[in-house]
Amino acid sequence: MSTPPPSKGPFALMAEFRSSKELIRAIRQARGAGYTQLEAYTPYPIEEVWEELGHHRSWLPLIVLIGGIFGALFGSLLQYWVSVINYPMNVGGRPLNSWIAFIPVTFETTILFAAGAAVLGMFALNKLPMPYHPVFNVERFALASRGRYFLAIGRWDPQFDRRETAEFLHRLAPQEVSEVAS
Amino acid sequence: MSAPHSNAHSNPYEPPSDLERLQRHGWTLGAVGVAACLVGWILDSNQFFHSYLVAWLFWLGIALGSLAILMLHHLTGGAWGLMVRRTLEAATRTLPALAILFLPILLGMQEIFPWARPEAATDELIQQKAAYLNPAAFTLRGFFYLAIWSLFAFILSWLSLRQDRTADPGLIRRMQAVAAPGLAIYCLLATFASVDWLMSLDPHWYSSLFGVYFFVGQGLSALAFLIVIAVYLSQRQPMDSLFTPLHFHDYGKLMLAFVMIWAYIAFSQLLIIWSGNLPEEVGWYLERSHGIWKYVSILLALFHFLLPFLLLLSRDLKRNAKLLSKVAVLVLFMRWVDLYWLAAPSFGHEGLSFHWLDLATVVGIGGIWFALFVGQLRSRPLLPINDPYLEEALADD
Amino acid sequence: MKASEGIETSGRKPSRPPVVAPGHSPGSVTDQITAVVLDRAPRWWWVAFGISFALVMLLLRALTKLLFEGTGIWGLNIPVGWGFAIINFVWWIGIGHAGTLISAILLLARQEWRTSINRFAEAMTLFAVACAGIFPLIHVGRPWLAYWLLPYPNTMDLWPQFRSPLVWDVFAVSTYATVSLLFWYVGLIPDMATLRDRAEGKFAKVAYGFLSMGWRGSATHWHNYETAYLLLAGLATPLVVSVHTVVSFDFAVGQLPGWHATIFPPYFVAGAIFAGFAMVITLAIPLRAAFGLKDFITTRHLQNMGKILLATGLIVAYGYLVEIFMAWYSGNWYEQFMILNRIQGPYQKQWMALLLCNVLAPQLLWFRRVRSSPVLLFMVAMFVNVGMWLERFVIVVTSLHRDFLPSSWGMYSGTFWDWATFIGTIGLFLALLFLFIRFLPMISIFEMKTIVPKQVPNTAEEAPE
Repeated sequence: MSTPPPSKGPFALMAEFRSSKELIRAIRQARGAGYTQLEAYTPYPIEEVWEELGHHRSWLPLIVLIGGIFGALFGSLLQYWVSVINYPMNVGGRPLNSWIAFIPVTFETTILFAAGAAVLGMFALNKLPMPYHPVFNVERFALASRGRYFLAIGRWDPQFDRRETAEFLHRLAPQEVSEVAS
Repeated sequence: MSAPHSNAHSNPYEPPSDLERLQRHGWTLGAVGVAACLVGWILDSNQFFHSYLVAWLFWLGIALGSLAILMLHHLTGGAWGLMVRRTLEAATRTLPALAILFLPILLGMQEIFPWARPEAATDELIQQKAAYLNPAAFTLRGFFYLAIWSLFAFILSWLSLRQDRTADPGLIRRMQAVAAPGLAIYCLLATFASVDWLMSLDPHWYSSLFGVYFFVGQGLSALAFLIVIAVYLSQRQPMDSLFTPLHFHDYGKLMLAFVMIWAYIAFSQLLIIWSGNLPEEVGWYLERSHGIWKYVSILLALFHFLLPFLLLLSRDLKRNAKLLSKVAVLVLFMRWVDLYWLAAPSFGHEGLSFHWLDLATVVGIGGIWFALFVGQLRSRPLLPINDPYLEEALADD
Repeated sequence: MKASEGIETSGRKPSRPPVVAPGHSPGSVTDQITAVVLDRAPRWWWVAFGISFALVMLLLRALTKLLFEGTGIWGLNIPVGWGFAIINFVWWIGIGHAGTLISAILLLARQEWRTSINRFAEAMTLFAVACAGIFPLIHVGRPWLAYWLLPYPNTMDLWPQFRSPLVWDVFAVSTYATVSLLFWYVGLIPDMATLRDRAEGKFAKVAYGFLSMGWRGSATHWHNYETAYLLLAGLATPLVVSVHTVVSFDFAVGQLPGWHATIFPPYFVAGAIFAGFAMVITLAIPLRAAFGLKDFITTRHLQNMGKILLATGLIVAYGYLVEIFMAWYSGNWYEQFMILNRIQGPYQKQWMALLLCNVLAPQLLWFRRVRSSPVLLFMVAMFVNVGMWLERFVIVVTSLHRDFLPSSWGMYSGTFWDWATFIGTIGLFLALLFLFIRFLPMISIFEMKTIVPKQVPNTAEEAPE
C-alpha cells in the first residue's frame, strides 16, 4: 500500500471485521474476485493473513547475513591491522597475530552489525518511520491496534471502482466500510 | 490423526520389516570386525587397546547421549522428542552390553593408561593422585557409572512400556521425576568418567571444563545418530506419513545448537589454556598443534564446527530430511575424529599413526552395538502409543 | 506443544495452570495492560519511587566524592586491587542475562509462557546493564577518559591491546547494551502504537505516536517485524552467552589460582542466569500483586521460573564441585592452597553462606509446593540474590588476598563509600524500573493477544462494545 495513488478520490476503501476468521475469509473472497492491491491490518501478527495475501519470504535474513559478514570482517581486520601492522607490540611473548585472542571481539562485532542490520533492515522494508499515512484518517482505525481487523483495497488496483468495490466490501458482512481519504 | 489408542494390544506403529535386514547386517559386520580385532590383538596388543578405547567411547557416546536427550525430552516436552522417544530408549537399553564391552579396557589398562604402569611409582605427581588413579578404584568407578546409567535407562524404558500398556496419565509425572535427578547425575558421573577414560591418558594434565566437553560431545553424537535413524524410518511404513518437515527442522535446530555449544566449550578451553600458558596445562595443546596433529585440529575446526554450522543455518536444509541426514553422518564421523584427537596424541605413537585396527574396532563394536540397538528398536511400537501428548505431536505441522 | 499450551484439551494430560487466566479477549488484554500506564499513578508508586530516588541521590553523593578524592575512598589496597567494583559489575551484568534469556532463548524454544514476563525482563536487563556499566567506568580512575578504551585513531597513535580480556569486555558489554536496547525497542513499537491510539492527552498521543514511528500493523509490517524479531532472538542468544563468557575470561585467562579455571565460562553463564531469574522472581511477585496482573503472570510462570532457578543452581553447584575436585586432582600446590584457604581461611563465613544461599536453599525447589507458593519462591530468590553476590565476593577476594608470598597477604572489606555506591545502584535500578512500569506497558500487549485466541477456542474473539 505504498504506491502513491495516481488520481483523486479516496486513497482506499476499508472494511472492518470482528475476528481474524472473518478477515481471512474476506481476503480469500477479494482475491477470488480479482483484487490484487490488498492490505490487511491486524492487532497482532497472524502468519495466515500474510500467506492469504499471496506474499512470500522476506529479504531480511539476507540483509542480516550481509551485516554479519561485514561485522566479522570489520572486527577481525581491525584487530589484525592494529596488532600486526600499525601498532605491533610484544605482549607476554604472544604472537603479533594472536588470532585465538581476537575471536571474542570478532564475535561481538559480528553480532553488533547483524543486529543493526536486522533492525534497520526491518525499518527500511516497512518504510518506517512514516509520520503520516492516509489510513489514520479513518476514525475507527484506532481499533486496529486493539482488537479489530481491517482489510483495505487500494485505489490503484486495476479493478478498483469507488462504488462497485464498496458494494463488494459490503457483501463480505463487515462491521463497517469506510473510505480512506488521501 | 486418529484418537489415542486405548487398546494396548493394537500396534499401529509396528517397526518396518526392513529393520530385520539391518540387524543381520549389523551382526555380520560385527562378526567380521571382531575377528579382525582378535587378529590385531595377537599381532599388536598395544595398538589394539588404544584403538579399542576410542571405538568404545564413540559408541558409548551415542548410547549415553541418547539417555541425556531422552531425559531432556521428558523434562521439556515437545513433539520432537515424542517422535524419536523409542529410538532414544532403544539406544539407552544397549548400556548393559556396553558395560560388558568395557572389560577389554580393564584387560589393557596398563597398555592404555600411564598411571597404571609400574613406572608410575616413580612419578611424584601421579603418586599424589594415586588415591584416585589406581586400578581397583578405576574398575569400581567404571562399573558404578555404567550401572547407574543403565539403571536410569531401564527405569525410563520400563515406565514407557507401562504407559503403552496401562495408559496411566500419571506416568508422565513419574518419568519427569526420574529424569530430573537422572540428568544431573548423568552429567556428574560423565564428568568423572571423562577424567578416568580420557583425561588420565595424560595423567599430568587437567582441565575443569573437560567433563562438559565430554558430555556435550555425547549429546551431539546422539542427536546426529537419531537424525540418521529418524530419516531412515521416515522413508518407510508406518512413520513415512507421520514425520513432517517441521520435526526435522527441530532436530536440525537442536543439532545446530549442540554444534555451537561444542565449539563454544572447545574454544573456551583453548583460549584459557593458551592465554594462561602454564607449563602443566599447555603441553596438551602443544602435542595437538604440531606435526600431523595440527592438521587434525584444523580438520576438527572446519568439519566439526564450521561446515555443519554454516549448513545448518539454512532453513531449507533443516527441513530436507535427506540433506539433514548427510550433515548428521558428517557430524557422526567427526565425533569419532574428535575422540581420536583427544586420545591418540597421548598414546605417544610417532605421527598420525592411523592404524587399520582403528577401523576394525569401530566396525566390530559398532556392528554388535547396532544389531543390539535395532533389536531393541524392533521390540516395541515406534511411538509411545498411549502418551497423552502424542495426538498433539502428530497434528503438529 | 503449541496449540493448547495451558488450556486442557484432554483429561488425560497432567493438569497445569494456564498461561493466561481464562476469559480474556484481545480487547480485555489491551484494556487491562494499558490501564496501568494510562491511569493515575497509585500512591504506593510515589512512595516506592521516592525511596529509590533517594538512593539515587546517595549514589550521586558517593560518585561525587569519588571524583574529587579518587578510589582511595574504597577499601581497595594491595594485594586486593579488585574489590566491590568488579563484584558489583559481575553481579549486575549477570542479573541482566535472565532478561535476554527470557526474551530470546525461550522465544526460540517456543515457550509461550515467556510472553507475559519478557518485556519486563528485558527492561530489567537494560537497567541492570546500565548499573553494571557504572562500575568499570568509575574504577578506571579517571572516568572522563574512559573513551580511551575504544579503538579510534588518535594523536597519541595508541591502540587498545586486543589480547586483553578487559578490552573484550568493552566490546561485549557495549554490544550487549546496544542489542538489548534494540531488541527492547523493537518489541515496544506495536505497543506504542496501541498506546498512541488509546491515549487521551495530547502530549501522550504525540509522544507515543513519535515513538511508534507510524506503525500501522499491516500484514507487511507484521511479517517483516516477526522475521526481524526472530533473527534478533537468534543473535541475542549467543550474544548473552558470550557476554558472561567474556566476563569470566576477565578472571580465567590470567594465571591466578582460583581464577584460572577452564570451567569458568559455562559456570559463569549459568550463574548469571541463576542470579537473573532470582531477580525476575523478586520483582515479578510483588508487581503482579500490586498491579493486579495475576491473570497474566500466573502460577505457571512462577513454577517454570522456579524450575529454571533449580536447574541453573545445580549447574552452579556442579561448578563449585568440579573446581574443588580439579584443585585436588591437579596436584598443584597453589591450587590446593587456594581451595583450602577458601574453605578454612578468614573468609570461611562468606563461603559457607554462599553454599547455603546458592546450593542448599534452591534444593527446596524440587518440591512443587515451594515452586507454586509465591511467598516461598520469593524467599528462595532472595537467598539466591544474596548468594550470587557473595559468590563473586569469594571468587574475587579469596584469590587475591593471600598472594603467592605470605609477606604479601592482607585482608579486604568494603568501606562506607563502597556500600553507598552499591546500594545507590540498587536505587538507580529500582527508580528506572518504577519509571518504566509507569510509562510503558510492562507486558507485551500484542504478544499477549497472540496467545489469547488459542486460550479461548471457539468463542467470539471480541465482545461487542
